[in-house]
Amino acid sequence: MFSRAIRRSVLDAKITSTPTFPPTFLLPFGARYLQTTTQHIDPPPQGLDAPKLPLKSTPEQTNSVTSIANHVRRSVPLQPAPIAKPLALDPSITEMLPLLAAQPSHYITIHIHGKPYLVTAGDTVRLPFHMPGVVPGDVLRLNRAANLGSRDYTLKGAPYVDERLFECRARVMGTEAEPLRIKEKKKRRNRRINWVQTKLKFTILKIAEVKINRLEELQRVGQESL
Amino acid sequence: MSYFRITLQRSGIGMPKRTQGVLKALGLRHRMATVFYPVTPEVAGQIMRVKELVSVEEVEKPLTKDEVRAERRPDPGFYLETAAPR
Repeated sequence: MFSRAIRRSVLDAKITSTPTFPPTFLLPFGARYLQTTTQHIDPPPQGLDAPKLPLKSTPEQTNSVTSIANHVRRSVPLQPAPIAKPLALDPSITEMLPLLAAQPSHYITIHIHGKPYLVTAGDTVRLPFHMPGVVPGDVLRLNRAANLGSRDYTLKGAPYVDERLFECRARVMGTEAEPLRIKEKKKRRNRRINWVQTKLKFTILKIAEVKINRLEELQRVGQESL
Repeated sequence: MSYFRITLQRSGIGMPKRTQGVLKALGLRHRMATVFYPVTPEVAGQIMRVKELVSVEEVEKPLTKDEVRAERRPDPGFYLETAAPR
């Protein structure tokens, strides 16, 4: 156990000291074995028809969403119906949001299944669970944010920021697996020993985009819907 | 017809047998358990016996067990926007 910790720390030190460390797949087999995590790409689920899925070039979004509803496993939430309630904006938001949008980079506290993740564009998030029904390359829209801010301004949600004010997208990069854990199960006065193996998978997301929508567009869309 | 939405906030452990019996009659077995009963004088009297332990709300229609669970479940916070070819 201790030697493994030393080995890992040496390995980490090597990585940090040499910034041009080759990616894992270029390393010799032995070095790859030393890496604590491995990349697992799930085989795509059967029975899915690629042309019917909403690819980037698909112009009509509503039709494609209904068509993937039949094909993608129900465990992935699909696009909900647009919010009918008109956007009610506080005067302070209409005043300060352009200032927030004008500053260059933004951070956002997104909530996935009620758990907060403070991220900015380009971040990689390892979710603490395996998200069912997604494959690498899927783009998820994250629509629950508690905070949205820049260097000087923060828009706080109560409890969440209105999802029409911003656009946050994440790309599914794949899954990562933890090292195999083996737990010894032994009862007293009994020689039988059971070794329970655990190897959990975790979904990796990369935050592709954090954008604040322009107020004029929001108001124009609101007037059109009225 | 309106209903009482009764949630047990504090445990009945250590209460007199009569009080624990009322909780049992209401079907409140553990803390944060929620039950729905129509608004009647009988139920109102039962609530009065355990008013220090429960929170009561008047609602229009009773929720099922699954609906109560769904209320507590947080929003996923994401949806699939663009699916990769699979």
